[in-house]
Amino acid sequence: MIEVRNLTFAYGKGKQALHGLDFTVEDGEIFGFLGPNGSGKSTTQKILTGILKGHGGRVSLFGQDITTARSQAFFQTIGVLFEFPYLYANLSAVDNLNYFASFYPREQRRAVGEVLERLDLKPDAWHKPVASYSKGMRQRVSMARALISSPRLLFLDEPTSGLDPAGAVLFRSIIQQERAKGTTVFLTTHNMMDADLLCDRVAFIVGGRLVALDTPKQLKEEQSSRQVTVDYLYQGRRETRTLAAQALEAGLPFPCDELIGLHTQEPSLEDVFIQYTGRGLS
Amino acid sequence: MWNHFGALLKKDVRMLVSGKFFLLALGFLLLYTAYVNLGYLRFMQMPPYHVYLYDPGGTQTQVSPLVQPVPSLEALDAALLEDANGVGLDASTGTVQLVLYRGAEGVDHHRADYALSLLGPDSSRLPQILGSNTPEQKARKEITCELLFFELAAVGFLGIAGVLFQEKGMGVIRVHGVLPLPKELFLLSKLAVFLLCDLGFAALLTLLNLGLLDGAAVLPAVLVQTAFLSLMMALVGLLCALLLKDFRQFTLAYLVIAIFAATPVFLSANTSVKLDWIGGHPFYHVYMGLKTAYFGGTVSPAYYLGAAGTVVLLFLMVRLAFRREMRKEG
Repeated sequence: MIEVRNLTFAYGKGKQALHGLDFTVEDGEIFGFLGPNGSGKSTTQKILTGILKGHGGRVSLFGQDITTARSQAFFQTIGVLFEFPYLYANLSAVDNLNYFASFYPREQRRAVGEVLERLDLKPDAWHKPVASYSKGMRQRVSMARALISSPRLLFLDEPTSGLDPAGAVLFRSIIQQERAKGTTVFLTTHNMMDADLLCDRVAFIVGGRLVALDTPKQLKEEQSSRQVTVDYLYQGRRETRTLAAQALEAGLPFPCDELIGLHTQEPSLEDVFIQYTGRGLS
Repeated sequence: MWNHFGALLKKDVRMLVSGKFFLLALGFLLLYTAYVNLGYLRFMQMPPYHVYLYDPGGTQTQVSPLVQPVPSLEALDAALLEDANGVGLDASTGTVQLVLYRGAEGVDHHRADYALSLLGPDSSRLPQILGSNTPEQKARKEITCELLFFELAAVGFLGIAGVLFQEKGMGVIRVHGVLPLPKELFLLSKLAVFLLCDLGFAALLTLLNLGLLDGAAVLPAVLVQTAFLSLMMALVGLLCALLLKDFRQFTLAYLVIAIFAATPVFLSANTSVKLDWIGGHPFYHVYMGLKTAYFGGTVSPAYYLGAAGTVVLLFLMVRLAFRREMRKEG
């Protein structure tokens, strides 16, 4: 679906943003692209969506080089959710979606009402101007805009930003449903929970360089100390011990009256990111 | 492609409707028409200065009806006290003495000559009128031309920039960067809407103020000139909106354009002020093109070539700025 080889880009002399990225995204995969601000995430996404020209290296989408693929047919196959909900504030959700949908072939468009229902936007808000919406409602309409054309490749930039926990769960479920239909998802995010729960693979980008690329599980395991913390009661006293996971293969290696809990010391995806890059995601 | 253009056009019209642009244009049309018919023409038909004559002996025998006789010197003083621009003539001593409040030297001489001319026979003062326009037609054409130029250069320019600033602020320009449509259509639809609006405005303003027959006679030439000016100003408005950060910065640019660009043109084309460098001012040529359209005459092919070239050049600059805007970060 996406193949990137030795991708470089500079915003002018001495402003090298990307230093030779290499990665592929398979059909139907949810691929997470993680990095701190200014790391090159947006630049990469702009190159992949055909907005930014003048890159070095090779980028191909749907088996076609991006430099020759920026046709109307190419833009018909992608859907993009921007970091901010860009909508016509003076138009309603329905008018916005009808307007943006009108640029796609009729057979490709989804029904506006159906998409809005799926995104759980209350019908009484459908015909009100977007200016009167909350941030979360705008994000839902933006997601609807990205989905309205049934894209084969979906670029999502911070999809759960501005949503309440229930909204974030809904969005994650929608993204998974889209993938189940065969849509490939390129997810750019700061949100480690989204990346961990959704992505088949994640790439860490720092300073325009990829520093790690693997499944979240594998990345966490690689950085794991493989230790387990045991909470237990012994002779009426509560005690805690941390020991190597292997030490538990033959049962608890110490006397114990009652086991209270076992806690694996596996790092979170954010811990892994910090270990790889030496810095947080903010 | 036409479907895409239609969708963009419809959206732009809705943006203008919600921004009350058409209502504003209609308001300006009514205001200008009222000004021309109820203010400007009446003002132009009034005598330039009131002339008051004190002539107790009746020495002046061919006095114009524009001269107002006063019964005493005190009444003459009182009249001039109320009307400082008026001219007093005191013929009580047998020779006519001028009485006036001093203004500027040149103006005082002009007022004095005018007042004295009203004491002579009327026919000797009739000037020869050049061209086929009556003084009223000439006045109507002049003021309509000025108002149309002002509307296109200042008001329309503000309108298109306002719409684009709105879209820029909402970030939707970036969304168009990933839509399956030729990106230039986004600009072309805006130009088409404003061009149509300006052409409609020019036609109505011309017909309402020149009358149907006179208006229809000059309309084709006026519309051609309107099209050039409208496109240029719309493109300058788009360029400003794309390059400048916010509407506050734009208002500064607007002041520069409205005051420093348009003022010398009006001064040079409509008053006795002559500026040597005005030939190098692009707006001067456009304004003179519009004036030629109203008064008849030929416009050089070089002007049309220059105007078309300017439109193309501006469009290329706007396209560049538009592509840059699409690539911007949130």
